[in-house]
Amino acid sequence: MPLLPTSVVGSYSVPEWLERLKTDFYLHRISPAHLNEIHDVAIKAAIKDQEQAGIDVVSDGELRRDNDIDYLLARIPGVSILNPAKSYYYDYFDAEVPEPLSSTRESSALGLVEDFVYTRSQTDRPIKFSFTGPFSLSRRIRNSAYSDRADLIRSLAHALNTEARELVAAGATRLQIDEPFLAGYPDEVGLAIDAINIVTKGIDADWALHVCYGNRYSRPSWEGHYDFLFPAVLDAEVGTLVLEFARKGYGDLSLFARYPWERRLGLGVVDVKSEEVEPTDVVAGRIRKALEVVPPERLIINPDCGLRHLPASVARAKLKAMVAGAAAVRQEITGSPASQPSTETEES
Amino acid sequence: MLVEVRPTKKLRGARALDLTACLSPIVDALCEDSLDLSRLRLVCDWVQYKNNFRDVIDVRPILSQPNQNGRAGESDEDKLEIAVDLRRCADSDLAEIVRNVLARRDDPDGLGRVYLEDWSKGTTSRIWEFNSLYWRYLGVWEKATGRLYEQALPGGESDARNIAGVHELIKEMFTVWDDLAAHNSLPDELYVIELGVGNGNQAKTWLDEFAKLDVEHGTEYYRRLHYMMCDYSEHVLALARKNVADHASHVSSFALDATTPMTALGFLRYKVFLVYISNVYDNLPTEDVAQIGGHTYRAEIRAYLPKDAATTIATDFGIEPASLVGAIDKLLSLGPELLVDALSAPFPDVARAAAFWMAVWDAVKLEERYVPMTGLDLYQIAPGVNGEMLRPMLERHGDVRMQVSNGAIASFVDTLPLLHPYGRLQCHDIFVTDPHQYRTGFLGPGKYDGSIVNWVNGPLLQHIGRRKGFDVGYAPFAHRAGTNIVTLTAQVRD
Repeated sequence: MPLLPTSVVGSYSVPEWLERLKTDFYLHRISPAHLNEIHDVAIKAAIKDQEQAGIDVVSDGELRRDNDIDYLLARIPGVSILNPAKSYYYDYFDAEVPEPLSSTRESSALGLVEDFVYTRSQTDRPIKFSFTGPFSLSRRIRNSAYSDRADLIRSLAHALNTEARELVAAGATRLQIDEPFLAGYPDEVGLAIDAINIVTKGIDADWALHVCYGNRYSRPSWEGHYDFLFPAVLDAEVGTLVLEFARKGYGDLSLFARYPWERRLGLGVVDVKSEEVEPTDVVAGRIRKALEVVPPERLIINPDCGLRHLPASVARAKLKAMVAGAAAVRQEITGSPASQPSTETEES
Repeated sequence: MLVEVRPTKKLRGARALDLTACLSPIVDALCEDSLDLSRLRLVCDWVQYKNNFRDVIDVRPILSQPNQNGRAGESDEDKLEIAVDLRRCADSDLAEIVRNVLARRDDPDGLGRVYLEDWSKGTTSRIWEFNSLYWRYLGVWEKATGRLYEQALPGGESDARNIAGVHELIKEMFTVWDDLAAHNSLPDELYVIELGVGNGNQAKTWLDEFAKLDVEHGTEYYRRLHYMMCDYSEHVLALARKNVADHASHVSSFALDATTPMTALGFLRYKVFLVYISNVYDNLPTEDVAQIGGHTYRAEIRAYLPKDAATTIATDFGIEPASLVGAIDKLLSLGPELLVDALSAPFPDVARAAAFWMAVWDAVKLEERYVPMTGLDLYQIAPGVNGEMLRPMLERHGDVRMQVSNGAIASFVDTLPLLHPYGRLQCHDIFVTDPHQYRTGFLGPGKYDGSIVNWVNGPLLQHIGRRKGFDVGYAPFAHRAGTNIVTLTAQVRD
């Protein structure tokens, strides 16, 4: 990995035609087989875009997933989807847990392993594989099974732990837990961190935790500051904290001076809620700002959040600006020409 | 031949329309012609606006290619729509009208029309210049008619000033703010925006009641309140500012186009708790699309004056007939006050210029044709919104013609980013709330005083809002009986 490696948070631009086809699937106009083939092709294109932009650690763009919640919830045994029809693919299902979830599942059931294996077959670049965390999943569930909702969250965490174990067995090395709902419930950060530690327990992977203020329909779901994460997040068994800054400003970087976070920071340097492409020097300036509180070997450069709502041309341009900004700062630090895009493979 | 009768409610009851009497002479006249009847649509509306842009019978070519000149018969595949206003049938010699329009359908000059423009898509037609003129020179129009705009509204006043409705809205906001305050999440500044503030009566009512209710509530929200009055006209804003002088320290005003609020208010992105709009959307430019026989068409229009009306106006105002269109051009570009300076002979004073304006407006009609669309994704409804958003409505509802409400949608999508996650947009207007209404009623355009009115495509707004993460609901206006006004409420979903 070069100094200041670049990565993505997870999702990639969903073209309008793909949205239409995904919706057509729910309207029974195309078959699951055709939709799967469409997803395969779209994922190849998303990976190619990231490679061409020079991203060091790529993702599958989460293009098989309707949204941040349903793809997982609908597959967790014991979660009941009350109405599996949708008139728009991006809508959330109405999910219920009527009985306590089974705690005896030993093997993968969520299908993420197949998704990872396909992604692995399409690129030599290191892959980050993301999934939504137990706290956020629980916020979209009607709980009829647990008197204490914390028990539901912990049960979901155990299911994700099993899936993560399978992912690592399949070759995944970089896993990320996304908690897009956490900022809306700052009082519950301790519970969320406990659940994250259940997910990561015993899994030998490079774990990241992404917390943002929501990206539903390209809008923030909440406003606030990251103060609420600290000090609780210091107990999270993850190596990287991936946060949004570009939209909100970099004031919260001071938290990394106030608290002993000795691990990596995934620094959001492009705003995913704006189609305005950040100039390279702006990106570079944001990285330099972060370097005031985080040393370069602990900084990863990424967008604020997933790119799903941006047009593909804008997503490509933002990634290129991000890579160029990182390269410029890298050159300043090392005194040598900017590194070429990484050719490191997952196995190297 | 396909015959579509939309106002089906008019066919029953004690005062039922004699449809046979209307259609029989029309069909007889059509059968006398050599027209290929298998390519003909006969659509019947009940045009409820007494002042409107329609003739009793209009002929609309349905083009097979997008780049034709507009005359039916240029291609063997061209079709024709004949549009009938059933409300005026009883007073007309329908057979004679049909014979006349068919005989001259390939000869526009033969129709004796004085055209004010070439074919255009609906939003760029000159009729919107008349509409704009009305709002810019509302005072001149009101003086000429001796009637204030609000008196022309059903019920004699804007629903925006209904005290019960205002109280309900403010109290709901207090509940949201109390909850946010309890979680230490209430911003210091509480922003409310009104788009289309008019004379400021609504703003005054709202602010007066807000201040009273805040005292009762005891949370000093009024101290943190910023009310942003927005209107197209600086002149109107100045009047509105006088009206709310008692609240001056809490009020700011912005001259802006309702279709692009972010141009002036972008600094309030995600910060606004209420955007209030009343009777604005129905008055913004729109285009029509139609699904006909499985194909999608855009309705193009061309404004004209019937020859007789044009002759009368020219005579009454002492204008050479050949100079009439030039005088209208000057009216639209300069306004009635400067028209007096530009053409002082026919218009010695503003009152005379206003009379000319009203006479022309009264006479303006629209010719229409259907032009095939080459892909919904290539059709821009509004900036950032393409025609794919129309697909569900067009695919689900068979042959249908509807307003796209382009201006309303532009305003709507440019307003949503202003809303705080717990904010809401509330809009009182005349909305279509069920696509079936397009098959059973006439929903515009009509003339309302000097302005244009079209019912707003509610299902399309709802669909677009949903794609942008908002629940959009419609409810009959709750605080006055017998009104067509519907309340739209948009709030963040999930």
